[in-house]
This record gives sequence, C-alpha cells and structure tokens, in this order.
Amino acid sequence: MRETDTLIKVEDLRVSFFTPAGEVKAVDGISYALGYNEVMGVVGESGSGKSVEAYSIIGLLQNPGRVIGGSITFEGEDLLAYTPEQMRQFRGNKVSMIFQNPMTCLNPVYTIGDQLMEALTCHDKSISRQDARARAIEMLELVGINNADKRMDQYPHEFSGGMRQRAMIAMALICKPKLLIADEPTTALDVTIQAQILELMKSLQKQENTSIIFITHNLGVVAEICDRVSVMYAGKIVEQGNVNDIFYQPLHPYTRGLLASMPRLDEDAHERLIPIEGTPIDLLNPPKGCNFAPRCKDCRKICLREKPPYADFGDGHISACWLHFMEAMNKGVGAE
Amino acid sequence: MASYILKRILAAIGTLLIIMAITFFLMNAIPGNPFLSEKASPQAIELAFKKYGLDKPLIVQFRNYVSNYLHGDLGVSLKMQEGTDVAKILFQQGKFDLSIKLGISALVLAVLIGIPLGCIAAYRRGTWLDGLLRVMTTVGVAIPTFVLATLLLAVLAVQLRWLDPKSGSLTDFRSFIMPVISLSSYYICYVAKLTRTSMLDAINQDYIRTARAKGVKTRVLVLKHALRNSLIPVITYLGPVTAGIITGSFVVESTFQIPGLGKYFVQSVLNRDYPVIMATTVVLSALVIVMNLVVDIAYRLVDPRITLTNREG
Amino acid sequence: MKERFAKISPFQVDPKEIEQAFGLNSGDFEAASETEKESVVEKRKSVSYWRDAWRRFRANTVSMIALFVFILCLLFAFVGPSLVPYGYGDQYRSSQKLSPFELSKDEAKVEALSGHCDAFYATALQPGSLTAIKKGDYFIRFGGKTYAFTASKAIEKSVIVLDVKAEEPLMLVKMSDIQDDGTWKKSTPIEHTDTPAEGAAEIKLISRVFPHVFGTDSAGRDLMARTMYGAQVSIIIGISAAIIVLLIGSVYGAISGLAGGAVDFVMMRIVELIYSIPEVLIVLLLQVVLKDPLQAWFDAHKTGIGGMLGDLGAGIVSIFITFALLYWVTMARIVRGQVLQLRKQEYVTAAVALGATSGRIIKRHLLPNAVGSLVITTCLQIPSAIFLESFLSFLGLGVSAPMASLGSLCSDALETITLFPHRLFYPAIMLTVIVLTLNLIGDGLRDALDPRLKK
Repeated sequence: MRETDTLIKVEDLRVSFFTPAGEVKAVDGISYALGYNEVMGVVGESGSGKSVEAYSIIGLLQNPGRVIGGSITFEGEDLLAYTPEQMRQFRGNKVSMIFQNPMTCLNPVYTIGDQLMEALTCHDKSISRQDARARAIEMLELVGINNADKRMDQYPHEFSGGMRQRAMIAMALICKPKLLIADEPTTALDVTIQAQILELMKSLQKQENTSIIFITHNLGVVAEICDRVSVMYAGKIVEQGNVNDIFYQPLHPYTRGLLASMPRLDEDAHERLIPIEGTPIDLLNPPKGCNFAPRCKDCRKICLREKPPYADFGDGHISACWLHFMEAMNKGVGAE
Repeated sequence: MASYILKRILAAIGTLLIIMAITFFLMNAIPGNPFLSEKASPQAIELAFKKYGLDKPLIVQFRNYVSNYLHGDLGVSLKMQEGTDVAKILFQQGKFDLSIKLGISALVLAVLIGIPLGCIAAYRRGTWLDGLLRVMTTVGVAIPTFVLATLLLAVLAVQLRWLDPKSGSLTDFRSFIMPVISLSSYYICYVAKLTRTSMLDAINQDYIRTARAKGVKTRVLVLKHALRNSLIPVITYLGPVTAGIITGSFVVESTFQIPGLGKYFVQSVLNRDYPVIMATTVVLSALVIVMNLVVDIAYRLVDPRITLTNREG
Repeated sequence: MKERFAKISPFQVDPKEIEQAFGLNSGDFEAASETEKESVVEKRKSVSYWRDAWRRFRANTVSMIALFVFILCLLFAFVGPSLVPYGYGDQYRSSQKLSPFELSKDEAKVEALSGHCDAFYATALQPGSLTAIKKGDYFIRFGGKTYAFTASKAIEKSVIVLDVKAEEPLMLVKMSDIQDDGTWKKSTPIEHTDTPAEGAAEIKLISRVFPHVFGTDSAGRDLMARTMYGAQVSIIIGISAAIIVLLIGSVYGAISGLAGGAVDFVMMRIVELIYSIPEVLIVLLLQVVLKDPLQAWFDAHKTGIGGMLGDLGAGIVSIFITFALLYWVTMARIVRGQVLQLRKQEYVTAAVALGATSGRIIKRHLLPNAVGSLVITTCLQIPSAIFLESFLSFLGLGVSAPMASLGSLCSDALETITLFPHRLFYPAIMLTVIVLTLNLIGDGLRDALDPRLKK
C-alpha cells in the first residue's frame, strides 16, 4: 500500500490501564495501516483490547487508561500530539464511532432529532437550525427510517433497538467522516436486525466512501463486510490478512481455534464445534512467552519462553507464531 | 394528564382521611383533657365537654370532624385561644404564612445552591475544589439543625451582635438570614452530594460516551447531557424534603422564637387542644401530599420516559 | 517489534539468523507439556466477596479514618464511664457551674492535699447527701495493706487521709482544717485493724482530684460523664432503631416483593400512605401518647423485659416504637426493589425451575445478593435515628433527666448558651462526629459492597 493511500496508520501502539493492582497492558504494541475506502475487521474475545485500541484512536480513553507508546497517524497528522480541543473537533467530524448497545447509547431525555443535529452543530457553528434539521432528516431517511420528519421529534425510548442503531449510524455519518469505528454494532441486536444493519452499513460504506474499522467477536460478521481482518489476542494482533486468507488459510492457532468454534452453514452441518479451551490470560500478570501459549494445543517450549515475532506470508498476511519458524527451519531456506 | 391529576387528588383525599383518623385516635389517647387544671371544677369541665361536643361517642366526634372539614370548617380552639376559629389562627394570624415563607426559602436555597455546587464538584472531580466541597457537604449533613441554629445564634447574634437573636415575624431580610441558613444547610449539602453522585453516575453512562464521540464540548456534555439526567434522582428527593423541612422548622422556630406553625403544633399537643392538633396535621399533610404531586409532575417534565399514568410506585 | 516484523520472514531469512537472534536450539521446538503450560499461568487468587469488599474498604483512607474515629467514640461512650469517677446522674453540690478543668473551692482544697499524703477520700466531694459514708464498716486497700475501720458521723465534711510514713497512717481531717498550701492544722486518727469485718464495704482512695474535663452543669453534674453517657444512649438508640428498621423493613419488603400481585399492591399502598404522612407530627403525638402508659407499664412490670425497657425509660422506648411504626418504609422499598430485581435474574429462575423451595431461594440466592444494600442502608439508618432522638430531646420529648442523650445535653445547654457556651460545644461536637463518621463509614461500605462498582 502506498503512503498516499493510507488513511490511518497505527504503529506499535501501547495502551495501559494503571489500576491500583498494577499496570494492565490492554494494548501491547499493535501496528496496522488502513487505506481509504477500506473495511478492516478487528476480531477477538472480550478483553483482547480491541475496543481500547479503537478508543485511543478517537481519544475516548478514560482514566486510568493512557497511551504509553507508539503513534497514530491520520492523513499524515499525528493524532497523539493533538490538543484536547483539536481532538474534540476531530471526533465526530473526521472519525466517528458507533457502539455496541443502542439501548443505552442515546441520551434518553433528548429527542433523536436534537441529538442528530447536535452532531452537526458542534462542528459547524454557522449552520442554521433549518439546514441542520433538513440534513438530519436526510440522514434518517438514508439509514432507512420512515416518517423521518415525525421521528425526529421522538425520544429514544420510542424507537426499537434496530431503529436506534440506525439512528446511531445516521448520527455517526452526518458529518461525512472519513473513518467510522464500529464497536460491536450488531452484537446487542436480534439476528434478523443484525443482518439488516450489516446490509445498511455495507451499502452506506460504498455510497459514502467511508473507511470502517469494524470491531467484533463474531467472525461471521467479519466475512460479511470486511476487506481485511486483524485477529487480536490479549492486547496483540496475532494474525492479520485479507478476509479470504484469514478464512481459508488461517495460520495462527488462535485464528484456527476461532474458526473451529464458529458454526458454519455452508459446510457439513454434522461437523462438531470445537471450543477454545481455557480462559484468557490475566493481563495484570501476562506470561513471559506467547500470550496464547497456555491455551494453545500445539504449544512448544520456546512459546513459553519468548514472544513470537511476526512471520510475513506476503500480501499483508502476517502471523505471530513460533510454529511458522519451526516449519521454515524444518523445510530449510527458500522453501518456496 | 388531567385524569391522572384527578386520580391523584382522589387518592390524596383518601390519604388525608386516614391521617385524620390516625391523628384523631392518637390525640384522644393522650392522657388528660384540655380543660384539666387546678382551678377547674368537675362541673365546669363537664360543661365545657358538653359545649364542644367532647361528651359524644368518639365515632360521632370523628364524623363531625370529617363533615366539618368537608364544609371547610376547621373548628374552634379549645384552650390556647379559646373560642377562636382554628382557620383564623392558622391562616390569618400569619402562622401558616411564616412557616411557608421559611420552608419555601429553604427549599429554593437547597435547589439553587445545592445543584450548582454538586455540578461544580462533579465537573471538577478529583480537584481540590471537589475535595473541599465534599468535606463541606459531608460535614453539613452531619450537623443537626438545632446545633447549627444555636451556633449561628451564639456567634452572629450573641457574640458579634450582628443580628437580632429573635427573628420574630420575619419582616425584613436580616431576620431571615439565620433561620433560613440553619434550616436549609442540611438540604443544600444533601442536594449537592446527591447531584454530584448522580452526575458522576450519568457521566459514566454510554450516552455520554456517544456525545463525546460526536465531538461535543465538555461543558455542554456536563451541563446538557449529564445534568438533565442526573436531576431525576434529585427531584425524587425533593418530595421527602418538604416533610423534612417541616421537621426542621419546628426546631428553627423554637430557637429563633418565630411564632410559626411548628411551634404552635408542639404547644397544641402539650395543651391537648384537639381541633388545633387536627387542623395543623391536616394542613401540613396536605402540603406534603401536594408537594409529592408537584414532584411527580416535575419528573415528567425532565424524563420523557415516564408517562404519568404508569409510573412505578 | 517493527524491526523484527520487517526482517523475519521465514521464507526469505536464513533460519540460522532466527536461531541466533533468539538463541534458539532444537529442543525449543519440542512440544510443551501440560504442567509446563500451567506453570507459566499465574493464577490470581479467587477472593471471596467479603474479603474483596474488606480490601476495598481498607483502601479507602477516609472511611478507615472514620472507622477509627468511630471506634474512639465507642470507647469514649462505653469504656469512658468506668474511667471517670463521676456518675452521669450524680449531683456534686459544691461543684455547680464549673468551667472545663475548673475545680470548686472544696475540690481545690482537697487537691492541695495531694502533695502531702499518699491518698485520700473526701466525703465532702461525694454526690448527693453530705454523709456519703453512712455509719458502718469499711476497709481500704493500699500498698498491699488493708485498713479496716468503722465510720462515725464525724466523717462528714471531712477527708480520710492516708499517709503511710506518718505516725498514724490513717486519719480524719476536717475540711475546715485544711489550709491553702495543703497542710492541715489538726487531724484525728482513725482506729483501724488489718481484717475487715464481714460485709464491710471497700472505699477506693484517690491520690488526686479527678478534674471536670468538660466542666459541670447547673445541678453540679460532671459534663464529661454526662456526655459519655449521652453518647452511649445515642449510639444504643441509633443501633437498636436501625436493627428494628432492618428487621421490619426487610421482612415487609421481602414479603411484598415475593408475593407480588394484589398483596404487593396493598402493601405498597400502605408504604405510600406512610410516606405521605409528615412523620414528625405523628412522632410528636406518639411521644406524648406513649409516655404515661409506658411508664405505668414499667412500674407494674419491674422484672424481665419490663425491667429492661424500664431502665431505658419511656422516652427511648417510645422512640423505638415510633421507628417500628413509621421509619421502616425506606428499607421496605429498597428490599422490595432488590427482591424484584433479583427475581428476574436467570439464576433465580433456574433455581425455581429446579424446584427449589421459596425458603431456600431466599436463603441461598436473595439474601446473599441483597446483603450489601441492607448493610449500607442499615448503617446509614443509625445516624438518622440519632438525629431523630436528638431532635425529640431538643423539643423536650426524648429522654428525661437525670438520663442524658446527646440531644438532651444540647437542649439543656441551650438554656445557658450565653453564659456557658462550652456546655453546648461538647455534646454538639460529639453528636456531629458520631453522625459524620457513621455517614463516612456508610459511604465507604457503599463503595466496597456495591457490586456495580466491582470491576
């Protein structure tokens, strides 16, 4: 990917939470680059640091969380050097975010319209009320809400879950941001509604040319919408690649485990689902070696001693596992 | 809305009837009677009993109370101002006025000072200002009204002689200062604490994160998004406050020698002046009930999720 | 990390380089055993709810200080009276209206003795009647020796002086014979033996006059003793009332929440009714109504429960009754809310589906979950009971003299506020500190026990 095509570049980002019990390395050195008009999925179980990583991009990290290293570059600008006011103007304008639970993410005491228009007016003081309202109605129609004019004056509790998530999407896109971060946007919804929302996001992405970072623990959703996928485990990206590579040639044992534990409708229905055993590691006391080693079925002695480096399989497909090096050594140099 | 209010008023009348019954039972259970004194002969007492209908069976007496009240007749005082209309004593001699003036001033102060203080503390949480306010409010809710009242009296009136120790009829601003401060300080502090807590609670809500992600300014975040949500528990608290302020006013009135309702009630109990006891209880209960209704309506204005008809008890 | 990422691609790099970079050897790629795998996982100790809560409470400096201060208050109130030689109700006629640490004329005279003898006992400083020691047998133990004697009327307005080195170790000195410098003009020896007669009473000698640290009131009662006793009464009232409220409120709330339907509806209407009564009016009426009948009942039942309650006095017992009648509603609402919330939880549904009895569900599921908010509410109920009692005492309806509570002490002090402001100071500070520390402890408990804050 050429530099000019890069919308956002994250390099060796480290985020820690300083709790009374000690430092929790929620994000421990992750790097990726995302191009314009690209959709990247970030997959991982809860606590893997995927949301924390997103929050640090948009500057929503709250005490006791702090970025302690690395860089985030957005269109060539260093986001970590922004002042709070610059960050505020950046949020919602260039990058916006939608969240997991649409039931609690809208302020219950203000109308949907009021909250939509606020997203506009806090970045554009000069816009008139009528224009803001017209734009908000337009956005509501765009996300498929009927009677938008009437709906504008209703309160969140008068909306269904799916409707609220649509309103959230409208609110996130109202300033035409270049990047949308979607933090588990469909997790709290019914399955049928999930599909509708995904469909909507897909079509809006095409229409508005927005890049998306799509955070989820659901691989099925990833397959649906993403171009590239980062698989996160315990604060690190363990495997990254485009969606086909990840699904059809998964390399990291964790990714394989995830795929094996996912029900697939397209394959043999009798195939058993295999869960990944064990529980995620305690980030307060991370192991010395590979974070996944204690749960890995194919764990080697080195895995318990050293953190694995990334192996590059070309076309942006990388994976951090000692097994790759073992294979390479067994095969000898230049096995290609 | 109208039907809801009507329903509430009917319920209020029911409540008042029960309160009347309780009061009637209790005041008749007080040993002795209003006419008992060293001078009074048994004949004189009997005569007085006949005159005021106290010789009738209790159930008849109670029925008379209820029917008189329905006609707006609160009866006449038996002892303290014998023969005077109770309504006249309460409303025309300024007793009710004084208590209401005092109570409303304290309530207004609690809201106007308490809520902003709570907001400031929440907005500046973790700073020295927050710390200072927390210490002040925590100490404030631990000082009993009468202690504060006497302290003010001892310092401002007795030692420094800035103010008159007897506030009397609260005719000018200066006479208001000590009673209102002593009455409201607990509620100012409590409201401030409550606002701070619910504000911090609100600030941690998901919708605040959404607003932050939109790029809303911190000031707007606190004053618009968090404040209105955090007012809900504060408003809930204002109902009981009214009852509490009546309690406080008893002490304040006796400390500053204000001839208000509270002091009169205590005297009427000690004197067994039945109609006065009954009327004061009913008037004050009605006040509390009305206040609770006002709070419920205010609730509706702040929180659109609550429809008055199906608010959970 | 970035550099490693760029360099090491297994298909382009010589494995030798990797070997060198990480110091690998062939054994490193042997499969790791389960035990090896487990050894790297540091298991965090699972902590019980209470231990975890206690850890969080301990981490809260303010609450810990409050707890410490409250324990000091408890010691002051419950241990203090045994360290002070004055009783809360004893009137010392010669010691009226003293300022803090001030000694009355008699006391100053007796105090002067302290340099001139080993120990003494002044009947003149004893409460009530001047003949504190009636005629009879007494003994004194001092320095391993026993002095037994028979007191006569002459002991009135005198001091028993013990001076081991003197010719006559035990003697009687008249108050009027004591001079300002602590010497005495003349003394009468007391005849004494080493073995006390049967039934003789012990007299404790003192070597100094115990100061009236807080001064005395107009009736000559020691204010520190009264403040200690008042604090004791206030704390007992607060805790008992909180327990009454806890019992009635939680039972009522639990029944209402568990029964649901029409029962719940009626029970909650009753709660609402009590909510809209201005309690204070009813409390005042109740106090007046209950006082005489209660007193009469106590007089008739001097033993058993009647005697116990009688010791507390009608004022306090009627406060308990008031709490039992009116103040449980908040607790009932909280418990009902908890029950309703918990009833909806899946694990309770599961337990019901498995056929658990109601009693078991209450014991195993509802109680452990509701206990946090019960503890907090009860803890915060104590100061409110103390407040109510002091309020009633202030209006002259609480405890009656010679008993004292912090409220009645404040109220008494008010009458003389212009002359003796210190009399208000001590009980008011005590009251404020007790309420303040209890509030802070309650806040700390809320932070420590509220599972919502558990991360």
